[in-house]
Amino acid sequence: MSQSNGNHDLFENLRLELRRGCLSLAVLSQLRTERYGYTLRKALAEQGLEIDEGTLYPLLRRLESQGLLTSAWREEEKRNKRFYRLSPEGKLMLKQLGAEWQRINSSLNGIL
Amino acid sequence: MELLDRYLQAIEFWLPKRQRQDIIAELSEDLRSQIEDKETELGRKLEDAEVEAVLKRCGSPLAVASRYRSQQYLIGPTLFPIYRFVLAVSLIGCVVPRFLIWIAFLLVDPAHRGYLHMENLWATVLYFAFFTTLIFAILERSGVKLQGLDTWSPRKLPPVRDPNRISRFGSLFEIAAAVVFNVWFVSIFWPGPAIDFYGVRITIAPVWQVFFWSFLFLAAANVAIAVVNLFRPYWTPRRASLRLLFDGIGAGLFCGLLKAHLLVGISASSIPAAKAIELTNLINTWIARMLPWAIVTMLVMLSFDVYRIIRLRCVHLPGSSIGPAVKDLSSPMVNGN
Repeated sequence: MSQSNGNHDLFENLRLELRRGCLSLAVLSQLRTERYGYTLRKALAEQGLEIDEGTLYPLLRRLESQGLLTSAWREEEKRNKRFYRLSPEGKLMLKQLGAEWQRINSSLNGIL
Repeated sequence: MELLDRYLQAIEFWLPKRQRQDIIAELSEDLRSQIEDKETELGRKLEDAEVEAVLKRCGSPLAVASRYRSQQYLIGPTLFPIYRFVLAVSLIGCVVPRFLIWIAFLLVDPAHRGYLHMENLWATVLYFAFFTTLIFAILERSGVKLQGLDTWSPRKLPPVRDPNRISRFGSLFEIAAAVVFNVWFVSIFWPGPAIDFYGVRITIAPVWQVFFWSFLFLAAANVAIAVVNLFRPYWTPRRASLRLLFDGIGAGLFCGLLKAHLLVGISASSIPAAKAIELTNLINTWIARMLPWAIVTMLVMLSFDVYRIIRLRCVHLPGSSIGPAVKDLSSPMVNGN
């Protein structure tokens, strides 16, 4: 029982590690068009990539502080929302990371 | 929405001050959107239990707030192994000798164990731990770059250690030191009823003869071992056992010497007779009080000798992980010399 729990915890840790790098790429790719946090989460979830708010918003801030995103507060449906989109550096980074992802993916497909 | 406001307030407390309002506004917008979507789906207002479920899924306030902070540590992963090593060495160096000497005093001279103040030991340990941690935290904070971290080269790394190899320099030093010391020892302490030492006449008990010749024999034996070590610089079980035997005899003799009250009298033209007697007793007492310290030192030395023998024996056991494998089959250790 405890070994099964240990395996489950280990799997969860490794799964989170695997997801962590992919999430940045996924978020960058979805911000080619301007979105605010909640719609971004919904867009990712619709494509099978659930991401909770506690992970998404710190990630958005980090990407913005790295100069890959720009953001602006704007009123929509009578509520203030923060809209994000790719900066020019973000577009370049997305292109590079996309190519890297394709390379890793094809290598792993061969390995697995 | 009271639950939501309480939740946001709890998160706000742990957030970095500059970003508080911004983060709370954004998070609040997200959570309100989630609740509204659910309400639209159900066609009614959410009950408190349902709002609670939404917030619980989001995570505890502290966990949520912590994700907005950059990872912080008192001592980072580069310095941490050095910190742990320094802490372990300082604590072992602080606790073990004191504890061993306290035990030795308890066994040999319980009346004088008081001045070691064992009750202060924990305070000493805490001081050591505190100041070591403080120094490393300051180093981490000041961003001091470790020398050699960027300029290292495999060529500058220390050579592979072979614990069974005896340094030739060490053997030469041992021989030279033994010769110098023994010449001095024989010239000053040649057994007789008295020793003249820089104008002071020291009368020694007759039992000194036993100690003198024993020490001289031991010194000769140790020089012989050092000479063999010089030409065959690998420990062998036989040589290591001899070293243990001679060190054991030496330790026993030295401890016996401390308890023997060897000093019978001191006389010098400048010292009055009564003062000389008082001085003799004082020196004998203080020599005897060194016994617990000597026992600990000898035990440490003998434990090194014993460990050396165990290591040598384990090298020959199949599957043993103690000690390095014998790489040089031509070394005398393999031949048992």
